[in-house]
Amino acid sequence: MNAVLLLVGLLVLSYLGSFLVGGRTVRGAGLPSGVEYVALGFVLGPQALDLVGGDMLASFEPVVQVALGWLAFAVGLDFGYAGERRARAGNIALATLSALLTGGAVAGATWLVVRRFHVGATVTEQLLLAGGVGVACSETTRHAVRWVVDRHSARGPLAEQLNDIANTDDLLPLLAVAVLFSLSPATNIPMKLPLVEWPAITVGLGLLLGAGAALLVRSELKLDETWAILFGVSLIAIGTTARLGLSTLAASFFAGLAVSLLSRHGKELRAMVAPTERPVLLPALLLAGAHLSFHDNPRLPWIAGIAIAARFAAKIVFGWLLAAISPSARKAGGLMGLSLMSSGALAMSIGLAFALRFPGMLGDTVLVVAALSATVGEFVGPARLRVALKRAGEMDDSPPAAPTPQRAPA
Amino acid sequence: MSGAAVVARKGFGTHAKHALLLVGFSGLLFYVTRAVPDMHGGLWTIAAIGFLLLAGTLTSELLGPLGLPHLTGYLLAGIASGPYLLRLVDEHTVKSLSPINTLALSLIALTGGAELDMAAMRRASRSLAWATLVQCFLVLALVTAVFCAARPLIPFARALPVAPLFGVALLWGALAVTRSPSATLGILSQTRASGPLATFTLAFVMVSDIVVVVLLAAVFACVRPLLDPAASFSFDSFVKLGHDLFGSIALGTTLGLIIAAYLRLVNRQMLVVLLVLGFGASTVLDYLQFDSLLTFMVAGFIVRNMSKQGHKLVQYIEQTGTVVYVVFFATAGADLDVPLLRQLWPVALLLAGSRAIISFAGSRIAGRLANDPPVLRRWAWSGLVSQAGLALGLAVIVAREFPAIGTGFRALAIATVAVNEMVGPILFKLALDRSGETSRIRAPSFPSMPPPPMPG
Repeated sequence: MNAVLLLVGLLVLSYLGSFLVGGRTVRGAGLPSGVEYVALGFVLGPQALDLVGGDMLASFEPVVQVALGWLAFAVGLDFGYAGERRARAGNIALATLSALLTGGAVAGATWLVVRRFHVGATVTEQLLLAGGVGVACSETTRHAVRWVVDRHSARGPLAEQLNDIANTDDLLPLLAVAVLFSLSPATNIPMKLPLVEWPAITVGLGLLLGAGAALLVRSELKLDETWAILFGVSLIAIGTTARLGLSTLAASFFAGLAVSLLSRHGKELRAMVAPTERPVLLPALLLAGAHLSFHDNPRLPWIAGIAIAARFAAKIVFGWLLAAISPSARKAGGLMGLSLMSSGALAMSIGLAFALRFPGMLGDTVLVVAALSATVGEFVGPARLRVALKRAGEMDDSPPAAPTPQRAPA
Repeated sequence: MSGAAVVARKGFGTHAKHALLLVGFSGLLFYVTRAVPDMHGGLWTIAAIGFLLLAGTLTSELLGPLGLPHLTGYLLAGIASGPYLLRLVDEHTVKSLSPINTLALSLIALTGGAELDMAAMRRASRSLAWATLVQCFLVLALVTAVFCAARPLIPFARALPVAPLFGVALLWGALAVTRSPSATLGILSQTRASGPLATFTLAFVMVSDIVVVVLLAAVFACVRPLLDPAASFSFDSFVKLGHDLFGSIALGTTLGLIIAAYLRLVNRQMLVVLLVLGFGASTVLDYLQFDSLLTFMVAGFIVRNMSKQGHKLVQYIEQTGTVVYVVFFATAGADLDVPLLRQLWPVALLLAGSRAIISFAGSRIAGRLANDPPVLRRWAWSGLVSQAGLALGLAVIVAREFPAIGTGFRALAIATVAVNEMVGPILFKLALDRSGETSRIRAPSFPSMPPPPMPG
């Protein structure tokens, strides 16, 4: 396939993606995790039909990096918010706990498998593999909860709490990605720094660039200049971290977070950037699917099976913890935690970032586990969420609402 | 959006803050480029685009109080960060940005066509006809003469016998006839100018884009026997030209009708549609060997004049195109060969200056013949000084077709176009400001921003 044809194809996909979301409104079409695009990418990719070959995927790395960085920037800009509402501080803490518990459990379980089967040549590689799988499995996709809540018009404290948790559990995974990438510094960097300094540089660089952008957009700028500054800063963060071998995702996330925290136009900036998320996401998922490779790691079934099982267990335990402190969660039943099983955009972005930074067995394993976890989550998460919301009395049995009317074009 | 508010001046503090942040961002990239060798060229291109975008935007803001156009700011930012000064953007990165240039040129041509109103063109047809006639032939004849006269100063022309010298001078004259639609649209987009000068300049530049293509085919046919004794006069190039022109116009018409139908029936996500058009359609047109600029220009013209969707198209391109324009002009700045300009500046200045003077004289003559309004008689020349991509593209073709003089010709063209590229936009903006056509309506900003104070 010609590179321009692929680019045009991705743009067409992006165009279709834009029809699924208008402003912040989910229209209800497609799966919340977007795994169908991952599957499509896999079918088109080098492991199946080979319409998108390995060389072409390599030449598209800058496009993928930009997509991942921009998504992380959008996530950072929106961090702490559930739609247009600010998330409760308690729920942000719970979300962080959820990510810690799930990511920790999955990483621990994966570590045991990796050690048992001697996967990976060095301890660093084993750490990266276990950590990468843990991080990629730790989040709950924001889209899943919004998808169910919007589609079934669910309203109530549990729906709100789960929405907050799904929207604000990204901080820890992205911080962990920054730490993990630092375990194996890029070979082109002449400076030798202590391990702890690289994650600090990643976060610091993101915050610094974001603060610069926030200062600039505080001035009275025209909309097109504001776009230029947001794009410019985001691209500088992506390119600079890629050159330093640091995590593009983490730096872009913290840049977005800094813009959101320091700019007095945060609301408008979020409204500007939010509609771009889905159109960028779908091509990124397609390319992630094309990168999937099941052949590099013979122990992949073990790692994937244990990781997903650990994710199940961790979500159930988190559900119990939530039930212990929240009366509405208590009403939702013992398996309520499984309603947070859906993963998608961020998990796949993390998987793809690992696949690009650590090509071969390590990166491919993380990406495949992220995709499988998202697929399993797709079957379990939305169904359990509907059950939980019904039990909590926040959703009736009426058929799903029709897709929300589209807003005026942005 | 805040709607129409009056232009507000930014305070010293804001400019100082912008300048400091620009220095800070430059310092960061300077450190990274020096401290860490680049292992993945493609990925640094991302940072380069980001920096050109940011630096171009900030530099243009900083130059605002001096009355300089944004475009000059973009160019200066590109020159400063390019391979010959700070080296934040290297030559490889500049070359890898060519897809952005393709996209920008498509958008520029589409906007140019969509800005051409048939009724306004009909009203200005007399002025346009005289200006096109006079500017083409006067510039061609006199610049050719100046080139011949300046022969001792031009390294590659000194040793040429008379006939080849005349041939090269004719090629130079044809190159001097080219104008810059991108610079014209860049200035008009910034100033949102409206009035006889803005309308005339845009129409003239876009029309001359087509006229120049025909003129070039004629000049090439005449010059070939002068530069290559084995060659003879041939009409082959006209056959190819006819194929190019009619094919481009036919495709442009089809494309325009499709865009108009889309705007009427769907009218969503024009950013993605424009990207698909910019990348996809340009590739198809290259493959078919049609002129993509002409095709997009015709498409824009059809949308404007054969449907009611023209204003929507222009609005969408203005919304999405600014970012692309900044990168386009900043990349042009980064691509500027500063050492070459330093070496050839006296002769480049002479040739650029004489071209400007001849354009001025031509404008006065055409204005009198067409009985133009005073504003056109006084300022019509100002928009005709800028040169950019078309002239450089022509220089590349000359270098390819006539290798014996190609290298020297191209180097001199780059140096001369650099002068015109820097000076032309400043002159045009000055003219729009002085003639009172620059809009005082402010572009949209955030709703939460306080309305800017009324002047005075």
